[in-house]
Amino acid sequence: MSNAQIEIQLIASLVAIACAIPGTFLVLRKMAMISDAISHSILPGIVVGFFITHDLGSPLLILLATLAGVVTVVLVEYIQKTGLVKEDTAIGLVFPALFSIGVILIKKNADDIHLDVDAVLLGELAYAPFDRLFVSGVDLGPKSLWIVGAILLITIVLLVAFFKELKLSTFDKGLAASLGFSPVIIHYGLMTVSSITTVGAFDAVGAILVVALMIAPAATAYLLTTDLKKMLFLSIAFGIFSAISGYWFAHWLDASIAGSITTMLGVLFLLVYLFAPNKGVIAVLYREKQQRTEVSLLTFLLHLKNHDEERERHVNHLNEHINWQKVRSKTVLELALKNNMIIIDNNIVSLTSKGDEFTTQAIDYIITNEDAQIEDMKDDFFLFRG
Amino acid sequence: MDIQEYFSLVFSDYTLRTITLGTAILGAVTGMLGSFAVLRKQSLLGDAISHAALPGIAISFLITGAKDSNTLLLGALVSGLIGTFWIRGIITKTHLKSDTALGLILSLFFGFGMLLLTFIQKQPNANQAGLDKYLFGQAATLVESDVWMMAIVTGICLFVLLLFWKEFKILLFDKDYAKTLGFNTKTIDILITSFIVLAIVLGLQTVGVVLMSAMLLAPAAAARQWTNSLATMVFLAALFGAFSGVFGTAISASQNNLSTGPVIVLVAAVFVFVSFIFSPSRGLLFKQIRFIKNRRDLQLHKTLAFMYNIAETHDDISHPHEIKILNNFQGFTKGTLKKLVEKDYVTLQGSTWSLTNEGFKSASNLYNQLTKNDE
Repeated sequence: MSNAQIEIQLIASLVAIACAIPGTFLVLRKMAMISDAISHSILPGIVVGFFITHDLGSPLLILLATLAGVVTVVLVEYIQKTGLVKEDTAIGLVFPALFSIGVILIKKNADDIHLDVDAVLLGELAYAPFDRLFVSGVDLGPKSLWIVGAILLITIVLLVAFFKELKLSTFDKGLAASLGFSPVIIHYGLMTVSSITTVGAFDAVGAILVVALMIAPAATAYLLTTDLKKMLFLSIAFGIFSAISGYWFAHWLDASIAGSITTMLGVLFLLVYLFAPNKGVIAVLYREKQQRTEVSLLTFLLHLKNHDEERERHVNHLNEHINWQKVRSKTVLELALKNNMIIIDNNIVSLTSKGDEFTTQAIDYIITNEDAQIEDMKDDFFLFRG
Repeated sequence: MDIQEYFSLVFSDYTLRTITLGTAILGAVTGMLGSFAVLRKQSLLGDAISHAALPGIAISFLITGAKDSNTLLLGALVSGLIGTFWIRGIITKTHLKSDTALGLILSLFFGFGMLLLTFIQKQPNANQAGLDKYLFGQAATLVESDVWMMAIVTGICLFVLLLFWKEFKILLFDKDYAKTLGFNTKTIDILITSFIVLAIVLGLQTVGVVLMSAMLLAPAAAARQWTNSLATMVFLAALFGAFSGVFGTAISASQNNLSTGPVIVLVAAVFVFVSFIFSPSRGLLFKQIRFIKNRRDLQLHKTLAFMYNIAETHDDISHPHEIKILNNFQGFTKGTLKKLVEKDYVTLQGSTWSLTNEGFKSASNLYNQLTKNDE
């Protein structure tokens, strides 16, 4: 591994951490699309800053671009407040307009400035190590490393200092306000941090990757845990993992590093989306199927309790009169047998004492409208689940 | 070339005519379908879909190796639809909220698309240049067959829209009711969403991935301000969209170095801005005017009520009083006093005022007949 390669991976990992922290809160506060809007509308700020300074790394440019990001948030909120359009429409109206202004500014002055819209949107991480910071002749490493590092430091300090307030206002706005934490200040603070992070990172990784790095690790982590601290650590870990694996994937493919990191994030999300233990799609589908079977079982048991006549309790009766498919009646019967709820004697089904007890309790809960209790009851009675 | 020249050339010059027609049709169809997106609160879906279409373009180029815009757009359509249904899957099957789902699909698909595009650029294939026009769009690359394609798709959209108008409308405003009436809401839902995806994909070549969502939203958001009827809104949105297309093309053609896509978006944004401010019923300007007028009315009532309270204590209601004593109370301005005189509620003599009979009557009924218009 050469020096430049290590530096690229370091920058990518730092950006991933710096994005994951505000990203977690954005996802929890249902404001993920705001980050997309900010990432686009910082463009005019960058262009104007570049006119003035001719340096993509200058503090003035970062300030102007951050300002553009905050202006976006304010504009969106103003339009929302007028009530003329629904909230998400406001986002969709503001950022394309600002982005268009940025594009036009670039195109009109294409001769004077060496600024490419593609570069802003996509960044080029591979060139980051070549833009180095020299202080009195001493090479201190890549400039973007310093910028991203500084932003990360600020973010971490703010996170540690205001963790309690952030947590409270994210999960219970009303309580936070009544305890005296101004939700407005926390909201705009978070928005400002998001803007600064976006601006600081775009140079290295591009605006779109910033969005991906903010939302994807947090969303992935959210599928695995509901604990805020764990979610923060998981999303940071996912961010770093995709940053480094993405770098090597791009190295192997000889393609855009930003695109490849995003792809890694996508693969990671897809895997978790499918296989997460409790909230993954497969787990959800399995649980839905289980519940369907268990509801059928309950229906069947209730039917048995209501009928003493043998005709109604015959195994074939399930198919003929309750209109269940063969497979379904078979699964339900098997489940009931496995749980010792019924006995089958000469194709006539009858309840065991355990089945009878279960059904009686279930009826009680259903009559008193406490259906939710049945779930707990299942844990007591069931040896095997559906 | 200035704008005048543009309009004289637009009918004779082939390129200009094609581009203008193309952007006009595009604006009309996106405005039309955008109305549904906006009313269904799916405004940002367009943004997500247009970004999600990028890998489709790259993959269909990798498979066919040709730059035929129709096959590329077919790829975009497929990947846009995959993105849309994945978003729905995330929202329905997990506890992630819709904004997270949109942002996820948007950025992940776009990043993957960029990976593929940079990968293609490194391929030893001379044919690959120009794929990045789908990023920001290049209206100048429109040819007549593209415009025909747009026109046909618009025709189909319009036909289906008219055919299922009732179903679309009821789904839009009362989904549960539509379900109880026996409409297959899922199918209608998929139909609308697919059409929105189709409209977005059509616009990719002209406006590009990044700005396409604005084409969908802006005309519809502008049209929404002028009407409460769905049919009028769809029609107005189509009109606004078409005009944005034409004006945008005209402005960008009359200047150097001005890409069409962003200009069209800005023109559409101007439409939105004007509508937000000047729309008679919802606009901010008239709202403010109504607000001020209401406040004046209230002030007038307040002064009259105060005068009534004073006059009540005297046997002769027309007994003159000093204007000065009104000063101790809020609600008195020269304007309101003058207005009261105009209405014959009050007569002024020098520095005194006195209530007329009519003024006394209406003042005593002030809070009994709130419906009566005093203006």
